[in-house]
Amino acid sequence: MKNWPWAILAPAVIFVLIGIFSPWIMTHDPAAQDYGALLQGPSGAHWLGTDYLGRDMFSRIIGGARTSLVAMAFVLMAALAIGVVIGSFAGYVGGKTELVLISVIDIALALPSLVIALALMGVFAGENFSWMSDYWKMIVALTLAWWANYARMSRAVVVAELQQPYIEAARVMGASHIWIFTRHILPHVLGLVVVYASADAGALVLAIATLSFLGLGVAPPTPEWGQMLVDGMSYIEENPALVIIPGLALTAVVVSFNLLGEAFALQKVPRAVRGRFLARKKAARAAEEAARKEVEA
Amino acid sequence: MTDAIVAKGLKVHFQTAAGLVRAVDGVDLTVAQGAFHGIVGESGCGKTTLARALIGLQSATEGQVQILGRDRSDWARSDRKGFARAVQFIFQDPLGSMSRRQTVGQTLEEPLQIHSVGDAKARRARVAELLDLVALPATVLDRLPRSLSGGQRQRVSIARALALSPQVLICDEPLSALDVSVRAQIVNLFARLQAQLGLTIVIVAHDLAIVREVCSAVTVMYLGRVAEEGVAKALFADPAHPYSQALLSAVPSPDPRIEATRPRILLAGDPPSPRNPPPGCRFSTRCPVVEPRCRETEPALRAVQHGGAAACHLADANIHAMI
Amino acid sequence: MSRHSQNGPIYEVEGLVIDLYTPTVSVRAVDGAGFYVAPGETLAIVGESGSGKTVMTLGPLGLLPEGVAVDLRGTARADGKDILSMSPTDLSRLRGGFFGVIFQDPMSALNPMLKIGPQLAEQARRFAGLSAEEAKKEAVSLLARSGIPDPEDRYDRYPHELSGGMLQRAMIALALAARPRVLIADEPTTALDATVQAQILALIRQIQKEDGIAVILITHDIGAVSVLADRVAVLYAGQVAEEGSAIDVLTAPVHPYTRGLLASVPDFRSNNATGTKEIPGIPPNQAQLEPGCRFADRCELVQPQCRTHRPPLVKVGAGPVPHRVACPVVMAAEGIVTHD
Repeated sequence: MKNWPWAILAPAVIFVLIGIFSPWIMTHDPAAQDYGALLQGPSGAHWLGTDYLGRDMFSRIIGGARTSLVAMAFVLMAALAIGVVIGSFAGYVGGKTELVLISVIDIALALPSLVIALALMGVFAGENFSWMSDYWKMIVALTLAWWANYARMSRAVVVAELQQPYIEAARVMGASHIWIFTRHILPHVLGLVVVYASADAGALVLAIATLSFLGLGVAPPTPEWGQMLVDGMSYIEENPALVIIPGLALTAVVVSFNLLGEAFALQKVPRAVRGRFLARKKAARAAEEAARKEVEA
Repeated sequence: MTDAIVAKGLKVHFQTAAGLVRAVDGVDLTVAQGAFHGIVGESGCGKTTLARALIGLQSATEGQVQILGRDRSDWARSDRKGFARAVQFIFQDPLGSMSRRQTVGQTLEEPLQIHSVGDAKARRARVAELLDLVALPATVLDRLPRSLSGGQRQRVSIARALALSPQVLICDEPLSALDVSVRAQIVNLFARLQAQLGLTIVIVAHDLAIVREVCSAVTVMYLGRVAEEGVAKALFADPAHPYSQALLSAVPSPDPRIEATRPRILLAGDPPSPRNPPPGCRFSTRCPVVEPRCRETEPALRAVQHGGAAACHLADANIHAMI
Repeated sequence: MSRHSQNGPIYEVEGLVIDLYTPTVSVRAVDGAGFYVAPGETLAIVGESGSGKTVMTLGPLGLLPEGVAVDLRGTARADGKDILSMSPTDLSRLRGGFFGVIFQDPMSALNPMLKIGPQLAEQARRFAGLSAEEAKKEAVSLLARSGIPDPEDRYDRYPHELSGGMLQRAMIALALAARPRVLIADEPTTALDATVQAQILALIRQIQKEDGIAVILITHDIGAVSVLADRVAVLYAGQVAEEGSAIDVLTAPVHPYTRGLLASVPDFRSNNATGTKEIPGIPPNQAQLEPGCRFADRCELVQPQCRTHRPPLVKVGAGPVPHRVACPVVMAAEGIVTHD
């Protein structure tokens, strides 16, 4: 972890911190309307101006971060749990059960997640699901669209680990299946899946914004970046900042999570053996050698 | 005294894409209690598969294994933990046989936890005892297997196998991953443990000189069958099976003066594939003293001069072929 | 039956220092070691894993582990020419034609996608300057010479169709295709079974006799050394502990490490079995550059000066083949005098 590009983490960390501490950062109630101050530019009272209902843009962006973060956390945790359970079960049990589960996973993976989420939102719009709020419909739809990837990865890790000789060694020691799974296999599965999830978070933030943009997710007046984009579209000529600000926030978060994923991937391939590196190592070695000569002399 | 291990008519066949592999093809094996029993042979002779089948890591296609007088598969099925406490296994690759995430301390404690031995304090004491047993310093406890040397890793894996005080220890090529000087350390460790703890040890090895050095009994395998068996020193002094003779002749002496004058038997070719063993005696395709009957009927094990048994038409209690 | 040759060395390495660097560790793999080999003789370089035996022999040729940065100093001469200052192109030509290398794993040297024969023919055409027609004939005869039965048939086989022993023979044929003057065999028998090992060693010896080439055997297997070698260099932690004729080193070793190493190899032909002796401890951490003798921590005879002064390699005995040992302590204790 020594040569890790920590700076890449900054936007993602800022997003998470803002999400957690948003009530203390917001200068206004993000839902409070002020008909005396519609579509204003930046000022001392409203740092990023106001929207068409006179709501404070700064507070809405900060509040939107929390909305995205909370929804994202719900979906990731649920998708991860479902994926790990189904994938691990398939990989550990093997045989026909595994074949059936793999087929389900493959079908789920064959379609883009967002398409699945949209289709499910369509199904949930029916009478039978009227007991769920739109927000929870979105969470469930995204969860069902997102678990398959984690299931596929979990299964792959379980299958690979089961072939390791140390699993046989545990069996020889008399360990039960539950012992082998929880003590030896699960940590490996979680290790990989959590890393992947952290890189996947950006895509999920975008999906949440997309659903809200289409009017399917978070309902007004809760501040949400996708919805802010739609709202701002009508006033793009009067105040383009209404579109640009949530757009930039969204872009920054997505890019930063993607970079985070990239960083995890890069970290596994240490190809840092370059000229300057060599020169540094050589200098250190030469110093050691001089010290050795001194002792011998 | 009952024998520690008795295998009868043991066969292990695998179905592979290229056909049926007869890795172990009808082996009878008896290991006396307290013996240090070596199993030797070339790759593909089935020695590793045999060792794995003895402890049940490989299911047998046919035949039975009795360990300490009990049927192995019944025992392992009805009392998994009891079986694990009685019989342990040491793998060829010590690094692979340990979780790369667990420290040495955790690795050694794991069998004790699985079998709910004592409380945390008692387990720590037992781990310290195990480290002493295999002559490792307490400083290795917090290290990961990867950071240990090859010899230290094998010591840890031996210590883990001994954690539950087994009576029988089966080892699959525990020396082949080690350097020469370290190999000697581990061999001496095995010999010491065997004497100290009264273990029965079955060791699969390809280093014949070491087998002769430490083993009391030896089984020579060729293409899934037993070619010859007997008391190690007696068999090595006067091998009755032509294959054993060739195998022993192939081991060079570390003294170049002996090596310069010693007559050598060079076998032609490689061992045939265990997918389609030749008819008759399995060694007939490479045997320098082959006779027509060798290609037709498979010889059974019979008593030979050194007091053991060999599967060769040309060997009996009075005389055997020399190549 | 000394096969020692009076010719000068054909490949010679002196005062070689090789540092290997990865992002996390720096290792002094070779620490001021050297060796030489003359045409018609076999030099065995003996050491345990990590002793630097492979890096020392192949490093000057530019054959080094991948993914590490290398700092290499000292002198290395092939046929009198300095190879450390050669351009990569010249070095690569030298590697192909002057040196032939047999690797431990034949699959790493043979292209799995190409038939065996054409790979040999290509090598013979490029480095021995044969026409395509001649090269094919040469390839078949190389296969036959390497003890591969039915060479015409094997010419058209892919590597995966051959057994382990046959592959190692094909590998030897490939190393010989360029008609090298130095054959380097890096653990050629480690992956093979006992009966096949004996065949391969016999083959290498036969080739060496017929062609009169120099052979360098890199190994940890004392048995293989005893079968093949005229001279032996024993390497410990990147330094030469002892070198000399095979008979001197294997039957009258002087350095405590050589003695320990040989005592840990049982010989089942000798009847005075005294049990396998062991060298206590493990080889030193080569990431740390400590002064003095690298074997000091495992040595029974260790003296205070062993930890501060690196013992020089000095000549002992007056035989025709120089026998050198880097241990003044043993020499003083046993009254062995220098013949330098």
